[in-house]
Amino acid sequence: MARIKFESVGKHYPNGFVALENLNLDIADKEFLVLLGPSGCGKSTTLNMIAGLEDVTEGNLYFDNEVMNIVPPHKRDVAMVFQSYALYPNKTVYENIAFGLRMRKHPKDEVDRRVRDAARRLEIEPLLERRPDQLSGGQRQRVALGRAMVRQPAVFLMDEPLSNLDATLRISMRAEIKQLHQAMQTTFVYVTHDQAEALTLADRIVVMRSGVVQQIGKPDDIYERPRNMFVASFLGNPPINFMDGTLAMEGGRMVFRRGQLALTLPPHVAERVSGQAGRAVVLGIRAEDVASHSGESTDDCLQGRILSVLPVGSDQFLEVEVEGTKLFFRVGKEGQHKDGDNALLRVNLNRLHLFDKQDSQSLVW
Amino acid sequence: MKIPHFGRRALLFFASLLFALYVLAPIGWLVSSSFQSEAEITSVPPHWIPEEPTFENFATIFTAKDKVVTYENRKEGDTATGGFIPSTAKNLLPSMWNSLVVAVSVVILNLLVSVPAAYALAKIRFIGRDSSIYFMLTTRVIPDIALVVPFFLFVQQLGLLDSKLSLIITYLAITVPFSTFILTGYFESLPDDLDKAARVDGCSRFQTLTLVYLPLALPSLVAVVLFTFLTSWNEFLLALMFTQTLASQTMPIVVASFTSDFNISFSFINAAGVLAIVPPVVVAIMFERYIVSGLTAGAVKG
Repeated sequence: MARIKFESVGKHYPNGFVALENLNLDIADKEFLVLLGPSGCGKSTTLNMIAGLEDVTEGNLYFDNEVMNIVPPHKRDVAMVFQSYALYPNKTVYENIAFGLRMRKHPKDEVDRRVRDAARRLEIEPLLERRPDQLSGGQRQRVALGRAMVRQPAVFLMDEPLSNLDATLRISMRAEIKQLHQAMQTTFVYVTHDQAEALTLADRIVVMRSGVVQQIGKPDDIYERPRNMFVASFLGNPPINFMDGTLAMEGGRMVFRRGQLALTLPPHVAERVSGQAGRAVVLGIRAEDVASHSGESTDDCLQGRILSVLPVGSDQFLEVEVEGTKLFFRVGKEGQHKDGDNALLRVNLNRLHLFDKQDSQSLVW
Repeated sequence: MKIPHFGRRALLFFASLLFALYVLAPIGWLVSSSFQSEAEITSVPPHWIPEEPTFENFATIFTAKDKVVTYENRKEGDTATGGFIPSTAKNLLPSMWNSLVVAVSVVILNLLVSVPAAYALAKIRFIGRDSSIYFMLTTRVIPDIALVVPFFLFVQQLGLLDSKLSLIITYLAITVPFSTFILTGYFESLPDDLDKAARVDGCSRFQTLTLVYLPLALPSLVAVVLFTFLTSWNEFLLALMFTQTLASQTMPIVVASFTSDFNISFSFINAAGVLAIVPPVVVAIMFERYIVSGLTAGAVKG
């Protein structure tokens, strides 16, 4: 049981490098929190701080109400799963899983019971006498999970645990990790650069970049209401489309204009930017927020030349050139599109994103 | 040009044979002549295989009497072996014991210092880490002879002249940097995540080292043990400077003294030589299967 609290936490290296800046974060007990960001964004540093593997150089880190800044890892009740699995190569699977319990001086029969219990749950019982080099990647991953699980820690840390697995295995392991969280009823902090993992697993996501938190929120919040262009572009596949333009008042309505293109902004957006006609902005349209349209062009339509059509089974991807900008969309299979054709696409205006050109912050959320 | 498979193998075999011969011939002659009498050793042509093998040389070592060879009796020789036993013959076994005590102490103390040092250098980031590694290496660039005078003054001031401790201290100064360097390279080649995993699993730094890293570092530990053992077993220069009596004289000093007597007995010196190579060979055989991997692991990464 642990609530983790970061209070203005920073990590400054002696050479001047800043890995993490002014992190304020409250992780609730039993929460599944995902730290998401590109490599070098400080997410692993944050995780290592919770584990005690890296010093907190500024601010305070609390477990419940206790300051943990200088408590060494072995005195914290945390368990960790690594991307490289980090199994002890000279020990058997059984010894690997039992090691943490032995170090914490649990009685022998309890160690045995817990190890066998975890092995049964992870379906690695037949492997207990093998050594790590005799296991496949997926099996090693399970052993690593087992090693963390048996400890029944207050905090469960995972550093890109699925990155070394192949695609199919990764998806099935995602489901298992989710179940594990439900079964263990403990706080999970999970680091990844994979937005799909973050969206499926998290109760809350923290998006980070260059040591600075960009946005904290529920997966839906982050995806639907990104605070800035970085968050908007980091989530979504294919990524969100950006288009420079200006705000304009036309016929009593606030529109986004770029050359011939004019898109009427929905009321909730128009309200936020009222009286700012002429302001330079960036429009964001998610790839899936358009649909093929036939017939007359309306004031919520995009028109452009199709550069390429990429069928992907269930859908098709269209690369369209609109007013000199290349945009990438996902539309249903029904629409018949060919390279070089003119495409008419209807935009779901309610899901438009609008950002300031200068500081790339959202003007809507 | 492509050498056919068979020809290639024959060539390799021949080259290896030549090399083995080059390395083994002196040792072969040493062993063979230690079983020969002085008369047989000096015969022309030399005998590779003793015609009249004798254990007298070894027997004399183990039963050497307190006999002083003087100008007057130097020609008497030793009728049993036909050789001439040096006056310091009886010193051989005690000096071997000294060598062993010094070498074993150096090995143990060396490990106690270099293992934790290497772990810290390899796995803990601190200011001045890289420079400390290079600084330690530079100490190996200085030839021992340049250090003899400072070492001597140091040992003298401490009042340690003619004591085994003086040798242990100076040999440590020579061997610790190198062992630390080898072990640092090996520890660096072991993944950092193991260190983290162990510490999260409940190990202190020290337990991480002893329970996780040491079992994995066995090959490089063996390399270090061999290196330090051989260095101190063979060391001559410093031992010559610091030792005066049997309280501290090591084997190389005593063996060397055999050649500065009135008479020189090749057979006896060779028998001593055979005894001198026994302990290193025993150590090498004990750790044989780790030696190659230990040396290369350090070398590749270091």
